[in-house]
Amino acid sequence: MAIRANMKILIVDDMATMRKIIKNMLTQVGFKDITEADDGARAWPMIQQSKEAGVPFEFILSDWNMPEMDGLTLLKNIRSSDQFKDLPFLMITAEAEQGNVVIAVKAGVSNFIVKPFSAQVLKEKIEKIFT
Amino acid sequence: MTANSFLEFSKPFIDAAKNIFETMVFSKLEPGKPFLKADNLSKGEVSAVLGITGSHNNMDFQGMLVISWPYQTYYKVASAMLMETFDSYTDEISDVGGEICNMVMGNAKRELAVLGYKTNMAIPSMIEGKNHTIKYPSGTTTIAIPIASAHGSFFIELCYKET
Repeated sequence: MAIRANMKILIVDDMATMRKIIKNMLTQVGFKDITEADDGARAWPMIQQSKEAGVPFEFILSDWNMPEMDGLTLLKNIRSSDQFKDLPFLMITAEAEQGNVVIAVKAGVSNFIVKPFSAQVLKEKIEKIFT
Repeated sequence: MTANSFLEFSKPFIDAAKNIFETMVFSKLEPGKPFLKADNLSKGEVSAVLGITGSHNNMDFQGMLVISWPYQTYYKVASAMLMETFDSYTDEISDVGGEICNMVMGNAKRELAVLGYKTNMAIPSMIEGKNHTIKYPSGTTTIAIPIASAHGSFFIELCYKET
């Protein structure tokens, strides 16, 4: 799968500040089609509906800790469906504990990024997923 | 908790704050001399407050991380993080402090674990307004650490008690 500047990206984070920071960074590194969701509970139907509408999201960046549906549950929902089993998923977390990484890898995460991070580090993580 | 162990407990938070400010606020932090805080009056006008529970040496503890900014510093920090200019307290920047607090705690957890502190973090809350008070858990010792930065000064406060 190749990186395209116009690929359809979904940012999932309950904190508006972090969504804005990530959107700024993605824009800085050249991405153009960015949508936001404020919880996994909102993101999951958006992902399904975009697929049904024929304009599926091609990359998900999701926070781990969210109040209604956390990033891990969202990831498990995505991976439990055949049509989304290969959808690239980057998990964002404030906690760098090894246990978290293992849990996310077992659930099928594509890559992992720990806050704080720069636009350059985000770009490198994305490149690793798509190459 | 002795003064030395309080210093040991506070170092991971200071290191985490330095890392976060350098990476996401594009500013170096200069921590000043910590002092014991005797009252519950905030040192700034916008405060992010995060409850902490955990254990150390088989003793449970309760604590709190507070980051408190004067309005002008808060606006400059939010402007740097979000890459646009803010000069008043609006909904748009109301969770900037909470996100910083989250990241500081999340990062500090790693170093705290090395020191033998197991920690759980709550969800941060924000308090805004001149002369607001902070509800520290009763019976805790609170230290305040003045921080200087290119965006202005602010305070990191930590309180701790064994339960």
